Amino acid sequence: MIFTVAVHGAPYASFASHHALGFCESLLSQGHQLHRVFFYHEAVLTGLNARVVPQGEENIVQRWLDLKQEHTVELAICIANALKRGVINESEQARYSKPAATLLSEFELVGLGQLIEAVAQSDRYVEFPA
Amino acid sequence: MKKLMCVINQPPYANSHVLELLETAMVAAVFDMQVSLLFCGEGLWNLLQKQNADPLGQRTVSKVLLAMPDYDVSAIYVCADTLQDKQIDTDEFVLPVTFLNKAAQADLMSEQDAVMGTGT
Repeated sequence: MIFTVAVHGAPYASFASHHALGFCESLLSQGHQLHRVFFYHEAVLTGLNARVVPQGEENIVQRWLDLKQEHTVELAICIANALKRGVINESEQARYSKPAATLLSEFELVGLGQLIEAVAQSDRYVEFPA
Repeated sequence: MKKLMCVINQPPYANSHVLELLETAMVAAVFDMQVSLLFCGEGLWNLLQKQNADPLGQRTVSKVLLAMPDYDVSAIYVCADTLQDKQIDTDEFVLPVTFLNKAAQADLMSEQDAVMGTGT
């Protein structure tokens, strides 16, 4: 089956990312396809590039990056939600004259149309609320 | 045509989730999905006509809802059980709605290709 997964909660504030990762790792290990992971609402903060994880705490974002590397999963961040929360890539930094780009290069800023396209292409859409 | 149901169970102005889900609903409709909205729990308060979010510096949810039929989102459902709990006068709703009991909601959900929610 083809899955699309949406995450709504910020890492470290919510367990949404944690549960979604477990689900994604499990479905991939069972031979299913993961079309796209879509980060919405506060989950756009998952893509921040300046995070310092305290010793002894799980590096949840690294697990998303590992998942992408191993399975070429698209990590998509809602651009509208991201901009207003200060999550910007280099082209948005230039466009809005901000002091720094704050998005990890492994994540892509995309429009809501990409969420709808992913839902349309997938057999299952699963959401992990905040 | 894929069917998408958006379940709104959060009140307006507690967070941005309701407005952001309504944006998703509009985009889905533009992408030719058959979109319906189901209001339940605290989500019913979104439907009240007398709202003004200007002091909050936000968009007024009822005004956004009024635009829904322009996007061909006119299937708007309300949980009948919640309506009874909240004692809301349906004359105060901003749009015409259809009332569904829990069993009818389950039937409708099972017909969908996807269901999205505002979260808990």
